[in-house]
Amino acid sequence: MPPTRTHLGALRRPPRILVYLAAAVIIAVFPFVAPNAFFVHVGQTFAFTAVAVIGLNILLGLSGQMSLGHGGFYAVGAYVSAILATTYGWPLALAMPTALVASFLVGLLVGAVALRTRGLYLAMATLAFGFIAEIVAQRWVSVTGGTMGLMGVPQLDFGDFRRGPTYYFWFAAGILLLAQMASDYVFASAVGRRLNAVKESESFARTVGLDVSVWRIGVFAASAMLAGATGVLFAHQTGFVSSDAFNIHLTISLLIATVIGGLGRSKGPLLGTAILIAIGEAVATIHDYGAMLYGGILLLVLLIFPEGAIGLFARLVPKRPATEATAAPAVFDPRLAARNARGGRLEVDAVTKSYAGVVALRNVTLTVEPGTIHALIGPNGAGKSTFINVVAGLYAPTAGRIRIDGADVTGLAADRRAHLGLVRTFQNLQLIQSVSVLENVMLGMRRRRSLPLDVFDFLTGHRHEARERAEAGSILAFLGIAHLADLMPKSLSYGHRKLVELARAIAQKPAILLLDEPVAGVNPQEAREVARIVTVLRDAGITVLLVEHNMEFVMGISDHVTVLDFGSTIAGGTPAEVQRDPHVIRAYLGTEETAA
Amino acid sequence: MSLVNVFQLLVSGIAMGAIYTLTAKGLFITHLATHRLNFGQGDFLMVGAFASIGLLVAGVPAPLAALGVLVLMGVLGFLLERLAIRPLDRLGDRAGAYSWVLTTAGVALVLQNVIELVWGKSTQYAPPLFSATRDNVIVLFGVGIFIEEAAIILTAFLVVGAFYWFLFASRWGKAIYAVAFNPEAAALFGIDVRGVVTLVFILASLLAGISGVLVGPLVSVHPHMGLVFTIKALAVAAAGGFSNPLGILVGGLAFGVAEAFSNYWDSAFGDLYPLLFVMILLAFRPSGLFGERHADVR
Repeated sequence: MPPTRTHLGALRRPPRILVYLAAAVIIAVFPFVAPNAFFVHVGQTFAFTAVAVIGLNILLGLSGQMSLGHGGFYAVGAYVSAILATTYGWPLALAMPTALVASFLVGLLVGAVALRTRGLYLAMATLAFGFIAEIVAQRWVSVTGGTMGLMGVPQLDFGDFRRGPTYYFWFAAGILLLAQMASDYVFASAVGRRLNAVKESESFARTVGLDVSVWRIGVFAASAMLAGATGVLFAHQTGFVSSDAFNIHLTISLLIATVIGGLGRSKGPLLGTAILIAIGEAVATIHDYGAMLYGGILLLVLLIFPEGAIGLFARLVPKRPATEATAAPAVFDPRLAARNARGGRLEVDAVTKSYAGVVALRNVTLTVEPGTIHALIGPNGAGKSTFINVVAGLYAPTAGRIRIDGADVTGLAADRRAHLGLVRTFQNLQLIQSVSVLENVMLGMRRRRSLPLDVFDFLTGHRHEARERAEAGSILAFLGIAHLADLMPKSLSYGHRKLVELARAIAQKPAILLLDEPVAGVNPQEAREVARIVTVLRDAGITVLLVEHNMEFVMGISDHVTVLDFGSTIAGGTPAEVQRDPHVIRAYLGTEETAA
Repeated sequence: MSLVNVFQLLVSGIAMGAIYTLTAKGLFITHLATHRLNFGQGDFLMVGAFASIGLLVAGVPAPLAALGVLVLMGVLGFLLERLAIRPLDRLGDRAGAYSWVLTTAGVALVLQNVIELVWGKSTQYAPPLFSATRDNVIVLFGVGIFIEEAAIILTAFLVVGAFYWFLFASRWGKAIYAVAFNPEAAALFGIDVRGVVTLVFILASLLAGISGVLVGPLVSVHPHMGLVFTIKALAVAAAGGFSNPLGILVGGLAFGVAEAFSNYWDSAFGDLYPLLFVMILLAFRPSGLFGERHADVR
């Protein structure tokens, strides 16, 4: 029975649902306490602008993708909804959702460029997209009205012209509240952690079973849809849509709101949008210096205080001590770590891998029997790391097959193999620097509860992800590093970071565990500890394939050893057999002739 | 469409293409050495064009005016690196991964505003550089082509040639490649890495400035023209492959020619088709026509 955890910090903080209810009350009374109609109008603009900024903040801050074309998605939302409602007479209840779908689809298309390319190309493609959207809006006068604008777009007033602005405010602010709740959830949950992982290390993300392409394009399209929502609301606020509204400065001002509020912080967009609107009002009086002001703000914020206004605020307020981690971790049962009691069977059949003529692996065949520790050794350059990468699915073999429990996985991507229980660690460590040690371990876990239940936990308070945290804590305790749970990976020693990787791998519940040099650079005492842990894992039913140079470690724990040299298998057998093998001795020590 | 038309469109296309190539080279060289580039490259071109107009209208002879623009652009490139690029390195982890996109765009906004304050928002026309009027024509093989265009093409190719010599044959070019390959190792070999970074940004700015001087007589010049050139130069650099300097030459010329023809066929949206084509190309061939793909594997 795991001991009950104390949640001092969580108890002090009211459940989020209360905060959101309070926000809803403020939204409800705002139109009545606002001094005049102008304030309500500003409140409307704030509400719908912040929705787009929230999307940009998730895109830039969490997933690390740059967009210089959000003004384009804004335009798509505004025009689709306005044209459907005006020219085609669709009811708003139909036109508005259709426009959202349209901006999502356009987001998917533009995001397709992001699928296989890195940030620069995405920045470029989005810049071009925003430009194209603006030009089309400007020149396709018969449809968009061009710069003269589309007039008589229905306003969203729910049939009551006099009270329309109030209803509109409620509607826009309600959407903002929902978007903010979604954003808070993303930042506080596995979704945000995974976006961080996708941002920082593609290899890591694939290893924990994330389809990087889907995540990237998904977050891009979702962010495009939020910008589209803003456009839709904009179109039906005043009932006038002109192409002048959608130039590059629109995108730039959304970006300014994002960075000035605090990039990558969930509350940043609210503050940033408020500051943006305040600046906008100020610029109206000194219009000739507007661009300079915006440019200057970008430079100032990014170079002087990149954490943004929220960051400055946080610096003034002392940080709440971290209480989220497990105070007293549950006892870890290694048997829980295994996917099944038996362990997976890994067959590598005649695998060859060559790079532009250089053969790194030649016709390598080996079978790792379930529930055994199988070591792959060989001199430097023998092809061991290539082998691990081919098995894990990060490299495609030139020839040969790879099977897990008899099923051919040669054509499966790394993330699909991870789902089958093929789990690895990296020789040069892959940890996500922007989340804590505990969360790095949690990244290895699959979702336990359904999304609605997780959202419910998130809203109602302190039990959110409690089980995951407890389990991750117990794994860390099992490895003897529970005290490091709240630290950031950067502040850890090399040996400890290796253990965190191992903990993450254990959290994935492996059937087959690939360890790439688990004790390289680790002190002898830690190496013995790792040996003990690996043995325990094997006994719990996990198949282990490891690559390692430390012979004491390899010979001490392995059931079977395969020796690679220059990409080919030169020996295999029990540790004792391999140690006596003349080929192995020659590969490691050289022959009499070459030594002489 | 007559053969004469085809030839004239070809020449106009090559002239614009050569300018796109020059502008894109600036993006290429900074991206090569630092993996960053100036998202206001087109605005730097715009500044070059305005500075050139200012000097020419004041009666400065064209070669001197060009020299003056180069000095100004060199200083601007230096300031850009000092203001918008170097401080990000000092921030380290605190700076977001693509902060340089926004800081360089911020500098571009400031430049736009400055030019607007000096010259106003209206469109300007540059005096011709090489002949008495903008419309002087020479007849080649029975086809009349503008002297300006022909001279611009010639000049642009001379600059491109000089660029290749600099990149492939000079010591500095080797230093740039060394820094591109591995900054730490380059530093150990005694290469002044900071100096190289400054140099590439100055070079990029010079290339934008030369483009600005050359483009003046071809198009109308206004403070917001920069964005289009930034986008097209980026498209050319991406289509040619950011890692392939020869690909950019081919990509730039092809882009200019394609644009000339698509503008001829569809005067309303013709300038968008080459851009759309590049975007679609990138979705299928992310590293451009000539670039190699590098897998991200550790």
